[in-house]
Amino acid sequence: MILIIVVVVILLIVWIISIYNRLVRLRVEVQQGWANIDVQLRRRYDLIPNLVETVKGYAEHERGVFQRVTEARTQAIDAKGVAETGAANTLLGQALGGLFAVAENYPDLKASTNFLQLQTELANVEEMLAAARRYYNSAVANYNATQNTVPTNIIKNVGDFSEAEFFEEEDEAVRAAPQVSFQQ
Amino acid sequence: MTLQQQIRSNRWRTLLLLLLFVVLIAVILLVVYPFVDLGVLSVVGIALIAYGLFMWFAAAKVVASLAGAHPITRDQHPELWQAVEATAVGAGLPVTPAVYIIEDPAPNAFAAGRDPKHAYVAATTGLLDLMGPRELRAVMAHEIAHVRNRDIRLMALASVLAGMLLILSDILLRVFIFGGGRNSGNNPFALIGVIVALILAPIGAAIQMALSRRREYLADATAAEITGDPEGMARALAVLEADTRQVSHVGRATAHLYIESPLVKGRGLTGSLGGLFQTHPPLEDRIRVLEEAGGFTLDRSFLATVPVQ
Repeated sequence: MILIIVVVVILLIVWIISIYNRLVRLRVEVQQGWANIDVQLRRRYDLIPNLVETVKGYAEHERGVFQRVTEARTQAIDAKGVAETGAANTLLGQALGGLFAVAENYPDLKASTNFLQLQTELANVEEMLAAARRYYNSAVANYNATQNTVPTNIIKNVGDFSEAEFFEEEDEAVRAAPQVSFQQ
Repeated sequence: MTLQQQIRSNRWRTLLLLLLFVVLIAVILLVVYPFVDLGVLSVVGIALIAYGLFMWFAAAKVVASLAGAHPITRDQHPELWQAVEATAVGAGLPVTPAVYIIEDPAPNAFAAGRDPKHAYVAATTGLLDLMGPRELRAVMAHEIAHVRNRDIRLMALASVLAGMLLILSDILLRVFIFGGGRNSGNNPFALIGVIVALILAPIGAAIQMALSRRREYLADATAAEITGDPEGMARALAVLEADTRQVSHVGRATAHLYIESPLVKGRGLTGSLGGLFQTHPPLEDRIRVLEEAGGFTLDRSFLATVPVQ
């Protein structure tokens, strides 16, 4: 009888530990997902000064657009937390959209190798950012859904588990970057 | 069935199939145990384990050289590199796998390596010629899915196990026929052993193939999730279906790695029995599954602009 109780208790403990470990694993996935987004965001921020300088070389008097992009970039870099970063990057995407719209009016600029290369690089970063965001958001969905099921919702109080935020950025950011076709 | 459910049920089936494989080896050992000298058995066992370990660590390199794949840098194929990098990020891989190229006009691709950190994806030059950006991403996402779902690890393990099984049954056959066991020769049970070994080897192969087919559906589903574009995956498969060229330098041993079965259709067994030994489900079935899961109907008219042969 005692043996049975001992076995049941041990199984119960193992079960609780496995649920706890699952939560930890899902949290790590969310954190990794966020780290991936951060890497791509940094690449995006790093490209922008170059891009602005290049466009400036051809379209010097469009100061409003440059200022908007530069300010949006600073805000995005300073943003804290998922929601704020998402909102700031939405603005940055819109500002970039404005920059590319201006670039449309300058054929010399559009033909310059430097601009084309930056355009391609930015398109690459935007693609990776979209991919990283997809992964992060599905990790968040997974993590949050697991926390809300019985008995995980009780066990989660043992550790430092709270619901993660989705990274939402309006599609403008993706659309702002021109679609570069790789087909020759 | 949603993509998530599909992934989950596929994982269970895979686990089950792998378990069967292990049980199979155990059964063989139990059956032959009374007839074979313990010393012989342990020598065979040690040799088999040594073979298994060697293949485990060398498999990826062996596969690359068998397939004629060589590593490239970003500058050699920036568009392929970008597709691999973006899909690797989308899959949440810790590192971007190395990119290999196979000089071959037939479109195909595979992934190999014993874990995500030692993985690579390989594409033929033919694939790069035929696939647009959308389809190329789908194919790379399929390969990255094999990496992320640990298919490459499982398939490496499965082929090492299958190889061990084959060698074991081969050795046992010789032992039974030419003697060497303590009750060898006239023992009628020896014959049973031979028959068991003869039957079990193909069953092992069939299990490995079933495993491989499951993995293809799962990788298609995962790829659709990674790119967020199930239709792109279906389009890529439609291109592969339309092109009839076959990759050279492929043997049975590496066939299960490719995105499309690289073995000539109609060779060997066909029909439902032949289906047992196919490494890949028919492309039309894979496209249909994607259509059902993604809720779209593939419009094949775009194929008119793809230079398939």
